Amino acid sequence: MIKYKKLLNFDGTEADCIKLVKDNQEYIIPFSPDNTDYQEYLEWVAEGNTPEEAK
Amino acid sequence: MSVAINGTNGITYNDGSLQASAPVGRNLIINGNMAIDQRNGGASVTPTSGDIYTIDRWEVSSNVSGKISIQQVTTSPVGFASSAKITSTSAYTIGASELVVYKQKIEGYNISDLAWGTANAKTITISFWVRSSLTGTFGGALNNNGSTRNYAFTYTISVADTWEQKTITIPGDTTGTWLTTNGIGLSILIGLGVGTAFSGTAGSWSASFYASATGATSVVGTSGATFYITGVQLEVNTTATPFEHLQYGQQLALCQRYYQRFVSDASYTAFATGLCTTTTQMICALKYTTTMRASPTLTQSNTGINIQSQIATASIGTSYLGKDSAFIPVNVSSGLTAGNAGLWNANNNAAAYVELNSEL
Repeated sequence: MIKYKKLLNFDGTEADCIKLVKDNQEYIIPFSPDNTDYQEYLEWVAEGNTPEEAK
Repeated sequence: MSVAINGTNGITYNDGSLQASAPVGRNLIINGNMAIDQRNGGASVTPTSGDIYTIDRWEVSSNVSGKISIQQVTTSPVGFASSAKITSTSAYTIGASELVVYKQKIEGYNISDLAWGTANAKTITISFWVRSSLTGTFGGALNNNGSTRNYAFTYTISVADTWEQKTITIPGDTTGTWLTTNGIGLSILIGLGVGTAFSGTAGSWSASFYASATGATSVVGTSGATFYITGVQLEVNTTATPFEHLQYGQQLALCQRYYQRFVSDASYTAFATGLCTTTTQMICALKYTTTMRASPTLTQSNTGINIQSQIATASIGTSYLGKDSAFIPVNVSSGLTAGNAGLWNANNNAAAYVELNSEL
């Protein structure tokens, strides 16, 4: 099961990274175009999926 | 002592110890001798489908799950200490559009001297040691980024369960786009089972995606079949030179550009120092061991915060991940004091780690 969740900066704005939870493991993925995990996230979004909002 | 002088190879002494035209850094493959295995430390893994990194810089790329297991082992030819052992988990008939390959993606920066995609494209030679319980004609391929330029090749394993060195010389591709950036420059694929849709005629460049050569032996087709490989070298040359053995630390550093695992090896090893900002969060600065290819993905396992007592990590917060270092908030359930210092460390667990991944 794959789940993406948005993260917030200290000032409450949306951060330039996202949390992936996969197989009970958490990953922090930076919004870097050269990062392949970020590329996979963009593909996941392009397929119509939406990440969970930050709380 | 005899000396051979050859217009292609330069000067070669009879023990092969010096070749004037074989410069240091000629092997574009990283960890070709399978010496570094940060992720699994020599444990066997059975990759699912997708691109699953195993021994450093090497991935199993497949669209069928669990057809092989792979392990770094000490079985190796003379002059090597390790190899990758691939074992077929079943007798699987690969489908036309299915594939299982062992693959390394070479960063574009490292292939700029090939001049591929130009009229000055240089010839390369691939060499490697291989051993299998199967005999016959096997295959592999080279791809560019996007797999719009592809070259299938074959090699023959003549004797079962015996190490043999294979050499394949490939003319440089004068067309196509070959990245010379931090993206994928060139991929080398060793076929372990490739369907007809992804197999092509060996020995010529094509715009069609090939992962292997037509008619190549399928390792996954025989239950329990073994396939070992090591000493992989890809160099600008018309013949193969001896494998370029790097010192262990040099090779580890090359691997760490793409993947770093800070391991504990002891109960409370520290990964970084930090400042507690609340009762539940400490911010840490983590300096990497080397500059990474791209801003990496971060994960951790079994870490904690030590403030003279030990508190398990609950989660990692919004992190700022650069290519050289990171700002990482570590969250715990309670017990910290704002303004105090602390250590991000192994939470009384020798298997704890912090992982940074910027593989291609």
